[in-house]
Amino acid sequence: MYEYVLLCEDSMEGILSGVYEAYRFKKENNIESHDSIHLSVTNPDICRLFTEYRTIETNYENADKVIGTIRKRLGEEVYYRLCLAMVSCFEEKADAVYHTIVLGLRENDKMIMDRLGEDWVQRTFRFARASSNELGHMVEYTRFSELENGVLYAKINVKHHILQFLMPHFADRLPSENFMIYDENTDVYGIHPKQKEWYLVQGMEIDQSMLNATAAEEDYQELFKRFCKTIAIESRTNKKLQNSFLPLRFRPNMTEFQP
Amino acid sequence: MKQISSTLASDCADCKNKMSVELYSAARQTIMDKLQILTDAAKYDVACTSSGVDRKGNGRDMGNCISAGICHSFSADGRCISLLKILMSNECVYDCKYCINRKSNDVPRATFTPDEICELTINFYKRNYIEGLFLSSGIVNNPTYTMELIYETLYKLRNVYRFRGYVHVKGIPGADPMLIWQTGYLADRMSVNLELPTAEGLERLAPNKHRKSILKPMRQIQNGIIQGKQELALYKSASSFVPAGQSTQMIIGATPESDYQIMSVAESLYDKFAMKRVFYSAYVGINEDKALPAVTAKAPLLREHRLYQADWLLRYYSFRVSELLNEKHQNFNILLDPKCDWALRHLEQFPVEINRAEYTMLLRVPGIGVKSAQRICKARRSSPLGFDSLKKIGVVLKRALYFITCNGKMMYNTKIDEDYITRNLLAEHEKLPFDKDGITYRQLSLFDDGSENEKLFGLDRERNTAYV
Repeated sequence: MYEYVLLCEDSMEGILSGVYEAYRFKKENNIESHDSIHLSVTNPDICRLFTEYRTIETNYENADKVIGTIRKRLGEEVYYRLCLAMVSCFEEKADAVYHTIVLGLRENDKMIMDRLGEDWVQRTFRFARASSNELGHMVEYTRFSELENGVLYAKINVKHHILQFLMPHFADRLPSENFMIYDENTDVYGIHPKQKEWYLVQGMEIDQSMLNATAAEEDYQELFKRFCKTIAIESRTNKKLQNSFLPLRFRPNMTEFQP
Repeated sequence: MKQISSTLASDCADCKNKMSVELYSAARQTIMDKLQILTDAAKYDVACTSSGVDRKGNGRDMGNCISAGICHSFSADGRCISLLKILMSNECVYDCKYCINRKSNDVPRATFTPDEICELTINFYKRNYIEGLFLSSGIVNNPTYTMELIYETLYKLRNVYRFRGYVHVKGIPGADPMLIWQTGYLADRMSVNLELPTAEGLERLAPNKHRKSILKPMRQIQNGIIQGKQELALYKSASSFVPAGQSTQMIIGATPESDYQIMSVAESLYDKFAMKRVFYSAYVGINEDKALPAVTAKAPLLREHRLYQADWLLRYYSFRVSELLNEKHQNFNILLDPKCDWALRHLEQFPVEINRAEYTMLLRVPGIGVKSAQRICKARRSSPLGFDSLKKIGVVLKRALYFITCNGKMMYNTKIDEDYITRNLLAEHEKLPFDKDGITYRQLSLFDDGSENEKLFGLDRERNTAYV
């Protein structure tokens, strides 16, 4: 069977533009089934035989149309899960999301994400769960420090690109604070000015002297470190349990684990 | 009530100007030391959950609450750090035998001022160290005076510092009911410690405390919650009373009660006092006393673990204590978790057909948790499930396989025979949340599902972020 692979940009808009193009491509070429079309966010190392590769440009308008359809026909909850899957770090994510959308629209099922018996749904579910778990961890483990200019600054390093889901949580929690979360991995800043909407900036140049902490900052860090140390019951010490709940990879950015 | 509030309000008006606590001067050392002393004194309290209430931000003040609760860190003993858990003061006029803060102990003493607590809470909170405050206290002068201090702190935290995060406070038995009432409107959760499972135990180990005076504020809080809910229904703006509910805790292993007695007490607390949670605290020897187990005795962690597992069965799996234990069978099996133990004694109810069984029956299958059972019920609507899908859904097949069929077939050709299944189940290794040397019982090897363990250990990661 002849197959088609549409290569799209690794972003939510990129993947959704891919979904739009896949539908159009299928219609225009009278392709029988979506099964012979695939989406990918990475260029193939080896091109397979009997497979046609095409690169899809990201088109915000098309992506918006797809978002509109998903929201209207599959509902907000499904849309949210799909978004989480799309920001995950898995290579197959674009294909899984695309085919889950196809299945959902065909069956007209707002509970499409419950059909774990279906292979594509299964995968999307798994990808979304991975992002959602990491998001949960970052809600817990993000640590701010107070800079001289009064801004709260946090640095994170995440596998899945969940910063845009993390920002609303802190914006709701700290509405009257200027705060900034920097994702080292993607070089993206999430910025929340006091009492205003938050936004994302990529590749912003920052003057390192702006990142100096206040004098009180060190005191509070010391207070918290001491609190964490003291709260443990010595006779119940259980590093293994601590490690299983709080994986080591999160600790470099956490105040209480700094020397 | 009004009187207290109005004097406080005028006090607070003044202190708005001098709100920041001196961290830098000579006082700095004091705050560090105080925090250390009062954290050390609070660490034996178990409840550190921030769950039970959803409160969105208001777009102006600091803080919100998420009903699943958030753990911010984990201490070296593997317990979660969710709230700034401290005592107001570790001065105490009581002399409870098991307590580190008892009057007769020679330990460094300290007392926070309300402003110091508020300042610490706010500054920890905005750095995302904590979800809020957990405030308990030794008895300073008398219960009413102590409760007043707690009330004043909360009043300031909410009204001067405008904090909207989570607050858990202790109700002090014997305090003026009016103060408990007022405090309830400022806190998210309140708890009154039961201390020991039975009145006899309490009398022996805590001569200044009485069962009746503990149950009284518990009942008062319960009634307050019911009334608060009605007010909320009537006038939408009424502030709700202890919205995250009430919890309590008891010490396990300091007195000779059986598991059956302990679980029966827990069950009646859930039934009659509408408790949100009952916590069990394995007794850690601190004080030498002839009425207590030796200080060198290891904390009964396995027993505590079994109690939490059973507690989970009561709250989420609709089990009754009478199904798990009885007069003849007073203690939990140390080799098997309570659910497996129950299933093995009720083999006539198995195997269960995954594609037809009711939700409540799915819950009773070893290896199937609440999330898996819910996913099964949803997924089987569109297509029948096989063992393959079950595995992906999160069912622990190595345990469930003896108790289930998929489309009429068992996974392997197994016998439904108690000895046979027990042998096979024991051959697997239960993942217990502590090391071998942490157990006073004979060492054993069992199995359990990891994610369930998380909850069963009472760490309350009641997060439901995954697609349940």
